[in-house]
Amino acid sequence: MPREAEPSLNEKQFVLQALHDSVRLDGRELEQYRPLELTFGDQYGVADVTLGKTRVLAKASAELTVPYADRPLDGIFNIATELSPMTSPAFEVNRPTETEVLISRLLEKTVRRSGALDTESLCLVAGQKCWSIRVDVHVLSHDGNLIDAACFAVVAALRHFRKPDTSMEGGVLTVYTPAEREPVPLSWLHSPFCVTWSFFGEEGDVAVLDATWMEEQVRSGSCTISLNKHGEICQIAKLGGVPVEAVSLLQCTNVALVKAKDMSSKLDRWLAEDARRRDKGGLLAELSAENDRVPDM
Amino acid sequence: MPLDTSTYGLALLRVDGRRWNELRRIHGQIRTQAAADGSSYLEMGHTKVMCVVTGPSEPGPRRGGAAGGASGGAGSGGQSKDAEVVVNIVIAGFSSVDRKRRGRGDKRTLEMQFTLSNTLAATLHTHLFPHSQINISLHVLSQDGSLLAALINAATLACVDAGIPMTDYVTACTAGSTSTYAANDEGADPLLDLNHQEEQELPGLTVATLGESDKVVALVCESRVQISRLEGMLAVGVDGCKQVREILDQVIKAQGRKMILEGTVDKGTGLNDMDLD
Amino acid sequence: MTTTERPLVLPGDPISPDLIPSSTSKPLRLGPGLRHVPPSDIVPVVAGQLITNHQKNSMWVEYNSNRYIPAPGDLIIAQILRSGPDLYFTSISPYTPPATLPHLSFESATKKTRPQLAPGALVYARVVLANKHMDPEIECVSQSTGKSDGLGELKGGMVFDVSLQFARRLLMAKSKEEGKVEVLELLGGEGLAFEIAVGRNGKVWVGGEDVKAIVVVGRTLRETDEGGLGVEAQRKLVRRLAKGMK
Repeated sequence: MPREAEPSLNEKQFVLQALHDSVRLDGRELEQYRPLELTFGDQYGVADVTLGKTRVLAKASAELTVPYADRPLDGIFNIATELSPMTSPAFEVNRPTETEVLISRLLEKTVRRSGALDTESLCLVAGQKCWSIRVDVHVLSHDGNLIDAACFAVVAALRHFRKPDTSMEGGVLTVYTPAEREPVPLSWLHSPFCVTWSFFGEEGDVAVLDATWMEEQVRSGSCTISLNKHGEICQIAKLGGVPVEAVSLLQCTNVALVKAKDMSSKLDRWLAEDARRRDKGGLLAELSAENDRVPDM
Repeated sequence: MPLDTSTYGLALLRVDGRRWNELRRIHGQIRTQAAADGSSYLEMGHTKVMCVVTGPSEPGPRRGGAAGGASGGAGSGGQSKDAEVVVNIVIAGFSSVDRKRRGRGDKRTLEMQFTLSNTLAATLHTHLFPHSQINISLHVLSQDGSLLAALINAATLACVDAGIPMTDYVTACTAGSTSTYAANDEGADPLLDLNHQEEQELPGLTVATLGESDKVVALVCESRVQISRLEGMLAVGVDGCKQVREILDQVIKAQGRKMILEGTVDKGTGLNDMDLD
Repeated sequence: MTTTERPLVLPGDPISPDLIPSSTSKPLRLGPGLRHVPPSDIVPVVAGQLITNHQKNSMWVEYNSNRYIPAPGDLIIAQILRSGPDLYFTSISPYTPPATLPHLSFESATKKTRPQLAPGALVYARVVLANKHMDPEIECVSQSTGKSDGLGELKGGMVFDVSLQFARRLLMAKSKEEGKVEVLELLGGEGLAFEIAVGRNGKVWVGGEDVKAIVVVGRTLRETDEGGLGVEAQRKLVRRLAKGMK
């Protein structure tokens, strides 16, 4: 496996020195995010997130399947993360690196374990039929802070996603095509967002949000906090690294909440814009109402 | 749920009869394995782990590419001359109630290996052993909550036994809260040292601190909890870590005393002022 | 200016004969991106601008690529990977075989007094050997004079990655007229004090006392490169960034 190219001593020293003077290479403030952009695909459930030069694509898809034997009342929900050689030559196909394992664990804890998606609503016939929702996360380019971008992409994709409508009549399950009935959104409970702090120096006294790849290579520790806009922590992961005062971690959490609320309102706005774009002239609502009243048209 | 913790409010006693700020019994031993450079055995309540440290030694053939597969490594190769801390965790099939086999590629175990390796790399003086490797292998014999905390404590004990220079003890424990995530009740008590049942039902976090300071090395929270609960939980956790540190310190000192009395080691000049009861 | 016309060529395009310099006194020299197919065809192998120089009787294709291919005489910024028995292994660009830098290829270096470079240190060096199927060799001393001529270890400062074409433009003797880059002069005009070393492998080292000045120089270079800014836009950019610094 080709090793990731390491920055030179000069670069490491300079980045640290600059951060101690509160100067970042791209002229940002220490707690400032790079511009966050989101584009939805033509299909439902495709979200393309760029954060500076970091770009992550998430695609949600649904499939009818049989529920797990030990959980007959729950649907299936999976997040698959892929770091391909497209991101960096240091990643290989089919051999998960440490980064990939950590990202997928964090996404899993943030989105799945926190119960953002109501899996019970995915069950159609207990023990026999349920929806399997799968989100594929592809990292297209890596310039640091993959976790925050990936988490945003996953949440955006799932909230944008529409699954085919179904109905149960007399024990017969019908799945409608998009032409017959407008697809329905998932039953979504809350939107968690990841905010990653990076700590620098021997003492970990410089804390920075949204580190670039260069900064990530010289940092001495990091802490990812996942929150939703209601002020609920879904997950905290400071997996070792430089020791940080407990009090400053609490402060970090409070700043993270502000950022998470900010991301939440951004996503709401983009989703609303996309809905307006798809619903040209309000025709869609009219059409679907008509179809309901005249079923055999 | 077969049992629940909702009776807490009545007697202020937890399911196993502890009060909110009580640790479970911690029993530690070091130098359990004759063949290893350092070894330890630790019980936190019914969570039982063994740890074996080998090294610092020359890195094995698994270095570089292959090491990423099954073990967490920190500070490897490249420009850095620091020793690599390689952690390997084996969770015995009989350790929990339902016998579940976890494969080698289990992501949860990989994450714990990564956490341990990075936690220890922050406190061990790895720069003293350039281009070498410290192997830490942990065996989980029985699980009853606070697994990560027990693993960190056992690894600290074993590293002390192996004589690897370190800044201070890294000690860990868990803390929880009696409130559920949805309820924003102000009366919720923080809890120290969760057992398995409490871990399943209540929000909790694992915190590891460095020595007697308030510096947090690792903080892992995997459940949904109100942000206002965090401060209380963290304070209780950090306080618990200090208690754990005292206990681990006793374990080490007891072993040292024993070794001097047995004559295994000479009573060096520096040890003259050490209190041999 | 000897180059009057700069047509865009694609690989395999025919080149019209009137673009080929026809001096009889000197042999025709083909630069990068062109291939001679006997008996008399000249075919471009990359996409870019065809440039002809009638005085030197030479022609080449000016193109932008991401991968640096070492050529003898190029000035580059290399990073020390490790030290061997009598040479350093250095990296010119990531994910490529290392280039070698002999311990004695420094100014007034002998077996006993050779510079000690730690892994990760940077050197400004010249490519000596660049053959196919062989690791390239670089040096930090002029073989003929024994002087360093500004080559050697780069201490402190910061390295910024730019595109290969932009690095070439910066290195042009008349970078303002031919390369259409004026940023360095403009930054100096704003009163910023800095040193600079441009490597043809797409790396620019900027040194100086003031951290903020280095960051501003780096950002100017990057934004000029990525935005493909013209001279007028460069002026605006420099003015904006220099103002933000104060």
